[in-house]
Amino acid sequence: MLEQILVLLPQVLFDGFILGFIYAMIALGYTMVYGVLELINFAHSEIFMIGAVAGVEVFRYLAPLIPNGYLLLAVAVVVGAAVAGLTAILVERMAYRPLRRRGTTNRLVPLVTAIGVSFFLQDLVRLIEGLWHNEFFLRMRTIEDLEGAFTLFGGAIFIQTKSVIVIVVSVLMLWGLTYLVNRTKLGMAIRAVAQDLSTASLMGINPDQIISRTFLIGGALGGVAGVLFALIYTTINPYVGFLPGIKAFTAAVLGGIGNIPGAMLGGLVLGQLENFFGTYLPILTAGNFGTEYKDVVAFLILIFILLFRPQGLLGQMVKEKV
Amino acid sequence: MRVLEVQSVTKRFGGLVAVNQVSLEVNEGEIFSVIGPNGAGKTTFFNLLTGIYTPDEGRILFLGRDITGTTPDKAAKLGIGRTFQNIRLFGAMTVLENILVGRHIHTRVPYLHALLRTPLARKEEKKALEEALSLLEYVGLLHRKDELARNLPYGEQRKLEIARALALKPKLLLLDEPAAGMNPKETEALQEFILKIRSEMGLTILLIEHDMRLVMRISDRIAVLDYGSKIAEGKPEEVRKNPRVIEAYLGRGAAGGAA
Repeated sequence: MLEQILVLLPQVLFDGFILGFIYAMIALGYTMVYGVLELINFAHSEIFMIGAVAGVEVFRYLAPLIPNGYLLLAVAVVVGAAVAGLTAILVERMAYRPLRRRGTTNRLVPLVTAIGVSFFLQDLVRLIEGLWHNEFFLRMRTIEDLEGAFTLFGGAIFIQTKSVIVIVVSVLMLWGLTYLVNRTKLGMAIRAVAQDLSTASLMGINPDQIISRTFLIGGALGGVAGVLFALIYTTINPYVGFLPGIKAFTAAVLGGIGNIPGAMLGGLVLGQLENFFGTYLPILTAGNFGTEYKDVVAFLILIFILLFRPQGLLGQMVKEKV
Repeated sequence: MRVLEVQSVTKRFGGLVAVNQVSLEVNEGEIFSVIGPNGAGKTTFFNLLTGIYTPDEGRILFLGRDITGTTPDKAAKLGIGRTFQNIRLFGAMTVLENILVGRHIHTRVPYLHALLRTPLARKEEKKALEEALSLLEYVGLLHRKDELARNLPYGEQRKLEIARALALKPKLLLLDEPAAGMNPKETEALQEFILKIRSEMGLTILLIEHDMRLVMRISDRIAVLDYGSKIAEGKPEEVRKNPRVIEAYLGRGAAGGAA
């Protein structure tokens, strides 16, 4: 059994990274919005789904026009980011900002609104796709250039070209975000608002503007994750955001909600755990527990970690605000 | 020139009148202190000036411009900087970053330039950085620039908070109990510092302070608030002798917080 585990290990770790990076990108949207508003934006899973749908549509319509698969994918990534980012801004404007304006102090109100927006977006996309193509299941068009594969270490790891693309794009996005947050004026303003909104506003920062930009950035990252998700899993539907959304939210909590490196780490850890048990559970339990129990085991481990570090892996204990 | 003109401003919270028909005028280059027992409405008054609260009645003019009911970010952009009674730095950011956040309202880089890091964007960023560093040097915190603000000792946090407000290049600086928690020697240094920034940066300063020695030494004029109303105003020696002021402070006994 040990030998079997070791033989599969390189492949399992590699595949875990793919899933992990996708979770990490979605998790950032949850954690950034939580950072500035202390709101769990449950509609974020639908922002991700909208990115995936946008990716499918770009492939559907532009594949005949753009012969190069990489260029096509680049267009899909940009369109997915833009559509998802703008949707996120609209959601903030129309659903959350009016509540802030009315000075709603009950935290449950925006939370319930977020859940409502989530349902609304699911069915809106279902309606649009239904009228447009009369389709529920949306298939990502297959592009020859992107379908290659190769093996490494004498066949120990089987790698699809697509997987490499996912990892490269994710790493670029995560690096870009880290740069933006730590080194730019906008990033500094986002961090300032996250730490203390009212003091930040007294430093000349318009909180509404920064909140809007935060939704844009988080939404764009989620949209890119959606496009990559559609590329890897090829078939999506308007309800496909739910599970990755919940898992990415979990990843954000695992890393320490509100903490940006934490969300990345949490996503990677969760992706590895899920993929690890997906592969090894049947082997470890001699077939008594199948792959379908992977989430149960992965989440049991998460609960265990959070028992010992309730603030998350990189989170800090929240001090009482005076 | 009139920097600030407050005209019969009132702020209520439910049945409580926190600020009641307060009027005052602050001239350019003045150090104007607002004193009064705890709960007299001093901080609420500051919050009205900086747009955190909107007055229920009255008007506030800043440099002749009506800013009643403005928002905090606009007040900051117009030139009102402030510090807080309980220090409110961005604790998880470095000392330098705290200054840069304040300085950024003066950095105007179109987004496309910032994104592509064009020469224009770099030049503006470099200028912001240089100014922030020279401000840190000016207040004597340059050696701390890369430390997290929350790791600074108390006295330096106070100083950093003032420096962050100065980074806004304000015309009017509101200091909310800057000497709180300082020993007499530190208070003396603070006094020097306030006088120095006033003359060297051309500031007008509005000060809330409980340390009467500091207030009496430093202020050009003083207004006294009690239960939200202004009960006296004048030069330090006038206010010191005013019977209503003495009553407001001493009538409450030693526990009343007259210190």
